[in-house]
Amino acid sequence: MNNLPFLLIFIPFLFAWYLNFSATRLDRLHHRVETSWANLDAILQRRAALASQIAHLPEIDFASNLILTSAATQARSADIAARSEAESGLSEALRLLRDESEFPHQYPEVFAEMDVITERLRTAIALHREAVASTSARRRSLVIRVFRLAGKAPLPVTYPFEDDLL
Amino acid sequence: MRIGFVSPYAWDVPGGVQAHIKDLALHYRSKGHEVSVIAPAVDESSISEDFVIPAGRPVAIPYNGAVARVLFGPVAASRVRQWISRGEFDVLHLHEPAIPSLSLLACSIAHGPMVGTFHAAAPRQKVAFAIAPLLEPIIEKLRARIAVSEFARETLRIHLETDAIVIPNGIDVLSFIDTSREKKSEAQLTVGFIGRFGEPRKGLNILLSAIPDVVAAVPNVRFLIAGPGEPLEAMQSVDPRFRSSVQFLGRIADDEKAEFFQSLDIYVAPNTGGESFGIILTEAMAARSAIIASDLPAFEAVLGNGKYGAIFPNGDSKALAAKMIELLRNKNAREALGSAAGQAAARFDWEEVGNQIMNVYLHAAGEGEKVSVESESRGLGKLFARGSDE
Repeated sequence: MNNLPFLLIFIPFLFAWYLNFSATRLDRLHHRVETSWANLDAILQRRAALASQIAHLPEIDFASNLILTSAATQARSADIAARSEAESGLSEALRLLRDESEFPHQYPEVFAEMDVITERLRTAIALHREAVASTSARRRSLVIRVFRLAGKAPLPVTYPFEDDLL
Repeated sequence: MRIGFVSPYAWDVPGGVQAHIKDLALHYRSKGHEVSVIAPAVDESSISEDFVIPAGRPVAIPYNGAVARVLFGPVAASRVRQWISRGEFDVLHLHEPAIPSLSLLACSIAHGPMVGTFHAAAPRQKVAFAIAPLLEPIIEKLRARIAVSEFARETLRIHLETDAIVIPNGIDVLSFIDTSREKKSEAQLTVGFIGRFGEPRKGLNILLSAIPDVVAAVPNVRFLIAGPGEPLEAMQSVDPRFRSSVQFLGRIADDEKAEFFQSLDIYVAPNTGGESFGIILTEAMAARSAIIASDLPAFEAVLGNGKYGAIFPNGDSKALAAKMIELLRNKNAREALGSAAGQAAARFDWEEVGNQIMNVYLHAAGEGEKVSVESESRGLGKLFARGSDE
């Protein structure tokens, strides 16, 4: 057939284009995961900062102060392996304080700020999970695995603490 | 913040999505943000808002049981490209990007912080999403997805395999409370309906079939039907003996809605399907109406599973009649439902909804990156560039 040479050039070209296209897509997804984690991380830091601020409010009892301060410090200083547990601990400490004490009524402004942060945290977690889910799904596809288009990028993960707040 | 909105549907044709974009745009303008909207327009000269850029004449396509006017093609694409490259937006908000429309074009052309809102809920309408595999690489670019209801979120999950954050549609709650509430006369009870009643999915025939039972039990009741349609045709299905208790008001303007709700004792939403969210219910709630609605998932969600309004089995006019009779006879129950509804409506106010959406924008925007036009042949261009180097 006449068009055989044409096909011989065209098919590899098309395939190369497809590989490039897939790599671009995956790169964009990885970028989305990074952005969403950066957001989430920033909000977690703000939450920890506000928690230590609450811990130093006057009239707070010694036990609450102790729990909050240690939870907030842990959340701020934990390395990546211990991070999830630390954030869960802080969530739990804040929940205790909110449900079982009078402080939310005594300091409505601080706790209103905490509510805003919690709301943003929920959104950030939802977006992070969504980004991680799409990216992992994409990375399972055959062409990505066979041609190692993901390179050395680590597989994105969600953390257990993200379940606590939803 | 500079925000760009893309409307898939013609700006000068009434519709829920356009109304949502307009209200949201006005809300953010009043908060001091810079807003620009690009939308198709049937008649460009009819657009009065200075922040709306017309993108050309749309064509009509059937979609989700109605006719949608959308715009698609190379000319539209170049208009969108120009609008994006000139706009320097901090975030691009695309509405209904999963159908072939201006929004989908914008999504494929733009690069950077983008948020998409999905309005449609169509579990059985597979055709509309048959192009899902082609859409995936494009929709993937959205940094965040918003669904207007749990139902719309479920639709996304099924057809596009992606999750979304649920943020309801907004309304201006104050405009429904402000009208001075006149004392309703006890001698005459009224039941109301709003909608394009010619469409079967609005369920007017279910309300009409319930009339004989209700009038037999509560003789001093009147039924007010508002909305565009053919009254004579609809009247055919009503027993002639009861026709005197039904009155058609024709189309009512947006600013007359509040007054309409205030004049009612009960508001009935007998819709049989095709509703993703039920904005009209939230408006009735804001006006503190006693509501009876069919048990569509979207309606149940808005009405807090019956806390803010009574619910009857979809399509069952006997059950609807029984509920109406029960409520018409019990003034206290009506008032209790109305005030519960009024309080619950606060979460649908633009103030609250606008904050939630802004929150999503902030997440999408990240570190001050602007929306730009993705160079068309980036992938190919790189390939060639690399080839010539070697």
